[in-house]
Amino acid sequence: MGVAFVAHCLLNQNSKVGDGAHCAGVYSPVIDVLREKGWRIEQMPCPELAFTGLNRFWAVKEQLDTAAYRRHCERLAEAVAAAISVRVTKGEDVVLVGVEGSPSMGVTITSSDPLRGGRPEWPDGTAEHISGEGIFVEEIRKALARRGIGFPRVAGETHALAGHDEASQRAGLESALEG
Amino acid sequence: MKPDERSFRIMLVADGYVNPPPGGLDAVAVAAQTGWGVMQLPTDDYPPEVAGPLLAEVAEQVEEFSRHGYGFVLVGERAGLAEALAKVGVPLPDGTSPGTAAQLTEFLAARPAPGASWDTGQPGG
Repeated sequence: MGVAFVAHCLLNQNSKVGDGAHCAGVYSPVIDVLREKGWRIEQMPCPELAFTGLNRFWAVKEQLDTAAYRRHCERLAEAVAAAISVRVTKGEDVVLVGVEGSPSMGVTITSSDPLRGGRPEWPDGTAEHISGEGIFVEEIRKALARRGIGFPRVAGETHALAGHDEASQRAGLESALEG
Repeated sequence: MKPDERSFRIMLVADGYVNPPPGGLDAVAVAAQTGWGVMQLPTDDYPPEVAGPLLAEVAEQVEEFSRHGYGFVLVGERAGLAEALAKVGVPLPDGTSPGTAAQLTEFLAARPAPGASWDTGQPGG
């Protein structure tokens, strides 16, 4: 077993953008798997909460990708990387559990729309999910690289994706935990 | 903001209650059952240079929630938390160090309703 560094909102849905909280507080479908498998839980900070606030709009990566937000994420990523470094130094296995589709916390799928901006209206069905990492995850990758630490295995909560399926989400997480 | 399922209630939880020893109280399970969110405090095992920045980030996020009327409690203790919160002008919330899930559940049930709610029309402030 090892240590799972989890996205903040998986333990605290209150941090979600408005209309984004899938439950009152703890997102059990992910946390329960970590418990069952005996993994230690470490919650990462929510990069969007302190920077863009509770009244933030839903956003794609390009809207958040400013120099100031990058610096904010870099500061948070350094704190997380320092904690991961402690674990790695002890020889503990580490996984990172993000939020697929998130412009900040996506681990294999983020959101992108280079034209989005201005008045916050856009057509339903706009395809915004693309392969890639969110901004905070990118900064964690950089912070670990600066420490000479390899990027951990990843899994993601998939609620935001079309065709979300809890069984598939669980299978993906279990696969990451098993290595 | 559009309504969603958030509770507007958050527990600041010492690591020993998030990752309890065998037979220990799992505060995350209680939070899941009672509808509270969890903000984990860094483990005491971390050296100050690792724990300090993590505590500062917790405090900054608590500040944002507090500005908008979200309710907080503290479960367990964490050295340095009061100082980190003081730097952002937030007092240490009421706390408990329960021994059982029933004790924690009882404590949470006695908490006043948070200032923020979808009913007030001021979910975010």
